[in-house]
Amino acid sequence: MLEIRDIRTSYGKIAALKGVSLEIREGGLTCLLGPNGAGKTTLIWTIAGILKAQSGSMRLGDDELAGLKPHQIVEKGVVTVPENRLVFPEMTVTENLVAGAFSRRRQKGDVAEDLDAVLDRFPRLRERASQEAGTLSGGEQQMLAVGRALMARPKILLMDEPSTGLAPIIVEEIFEIIGQLRDEGRTIFLVEQNANLALDYADHFYLLEQGHVTFGGDPATVDHDDLIARAYLGARKAS
Amino acid sequence: MIDLVQNMLDGLAIGSAYGLLALGFTLIFGVMRRLNMAFGSSILVGIFAGAWLHGQWAAGMIPIFAATVAGAVVASAYVERMSFAWIRGDAALASMASSFAIWMQLEELVARAFPQRSYAFPTFEALPMLELGPFFLRPEHAAMFLTAAVLVAALHWLLTRTLFGLRVRTLSDSRDAARVSGVDVGRVAVLTFGLAAAIGGVAGFLIAATDGQISTKLGMWATMKGLIAMVIGGLGSLRGALVGGLVLGVVEAQAQWYLGASGREICTFALLFAALILLPQGLVGRKDTLARAEAVRRI
Ligand SMILES: Nc1ncnc2c1ncn2[C@@H]1O[C@H](COP(=O)(O)OP(=O)(O)O)[C@@H](O)[C@H]1O
Ligand SMILES: [Mg+2]
Repeated sequence: MLEIRDIRTSYGKIAALKGVSLEIREGGLTCLLGPNGAGKTTLIWTIAGILKAQSGSMRLGDDELAGLKPHQIVEKGVVTVPENRLVFPEMTVTENLVAGAFSRRRQKGDVAEDLDAVLDRFPRLRERASQEAGTLSGGEQQMLAVGRALMARPKILLMDEPSTGLAPIIVEEIFEIIGQLRDEGRTIFLVEQNANLALDYADHFYLLEQGHVTFGGDPATVDHDDLIARAYLGARKAS
Repeated sequence: MIDLVQNMLDGLAIGSAYGLLALGFTLIFGVMRRLNMAFGSSILVGIFAGAWLHGQWAAGMIPIFAATVAGAVVASAYVERMSFAWIRGDAALASMASSFAIWMQLEELVARAFPQRSYAFPTFEALPMLELGPFFLRPEHAAMFLTAAVLVAALHWLLTRTLFGLRVRTLSDSRDAARVSGVDVGRVAVLTFGLAAAIGGVAGFLIAATDGQISTKLGMWATMKGLIAMVIGGLGSLRGALVGGLVLGVVEAQAQWYLGASGREICTFALLFAALILLPQGLVGRKDTLARAEAVRRI
């Protein structure tokens, strides 16, 4: 569905992505694993158009995303749930969600309908609908960030480490939500450090190390423990 | 006692104009995270456009008002292109320095086009003096206060009740979150700039119409008053801008009455220093949104 080919992104002179290629398949959960500093967030921000790739292409069907502005990429249906959630702290929960629908061509009433659907999905958000987002707990903010992205009616959801900084029990709750979204047939690209948990849900996964994709496979058929241990423990073989 | 209250009334009136100037600064600062040093000089261009219309054709108040606001908006559009759109988003200092240069440029242009020391600006003198018991309200002060109140109410409505307002607020709350929510950041920034310039133009018109004469010093004056009021009220807070303006106006009016013109200047800066030292968040302050770290520093 989204084909990423040979993407290179740098911070000044420091190259963070050194030719990344991968594919996000329709109607499944594609997972990107990799240690801290591998370039996962850089890839997300590059797809979202906030960082500019020096070269490479990102094709969504017939559309090229590289070179588009962030809001145009959202309009194409590629919507990000950013790292550290990035809700609007001084706006209410409802306002945060309505902001998620900015990119849509709206018909009368359909934003209200979607808002209702999101609040049904996350009853804790409904209870806090008129509260400022900055006063929510980390888990609630994560739900809000997911809900805000759903308000855009995404074709692809990009999620950057939704489990960061949350208590284990909340992490499980968040993953249940992710599993639910996958089961609804949505296309999800999930970036995670928490490899074991993520692989329970993934249909396909890639490994990113130091700006290179070093592995791609199917968690059901690959014995991944070895790979993961290698990546995360920092032992590197000459691939 | 009567003096004290009378000064208060006068101070609130002029303070509401300061509040409008500070609102203009705050809107731009909130959305861009950058100071527009050329704000006052954009207003200067507007006021002189109005004065020119007045001198040339003895036009009525409404066309002069329109010319003042339009002049400020056009000059601001120029500033926005030169010092903001074409300068990278993370280079706040570059924008500030560049807008400082544009300030000098605009002021020099106005000074060349209008070489006399001062020019006449039409006033509201036809209106009667308002009496409130033992107190007097100059009609131009009443106009100032009322216009400011109406403008602030309209701005509040715009920011809290419309989708455009919601976009502006997302941008000042978290720029990257706004981008991933599909806000066209560049477009909203331009519109906000225009809105701020229009508010500044209204403030400039009210001030010029109260004084009845204008000089090229007004640009510098507007920048100083707006900046000081913004800092007193709390950087980046709209409510703070208004409160800061009113406080500045009242303190100046009292100081002028009891201490004279030089005492007033001393009090203004004493107030600024006191605000910076005692209330670094400003009178109204806010939970430091503007300083909040963004998730991504742009390349
Ligand atoms: N704003 C930045 N400026 C310079 N270097 C950065 C910046 N952000 C990330 N990096 C560097 O780019 C590399 C990839 O970072 P990142 O994409 O955040 O990794 P991950 O999300 O996988 O932990 C790291 O080496 C990091 O130090
Ligand atoms: Mg990261």
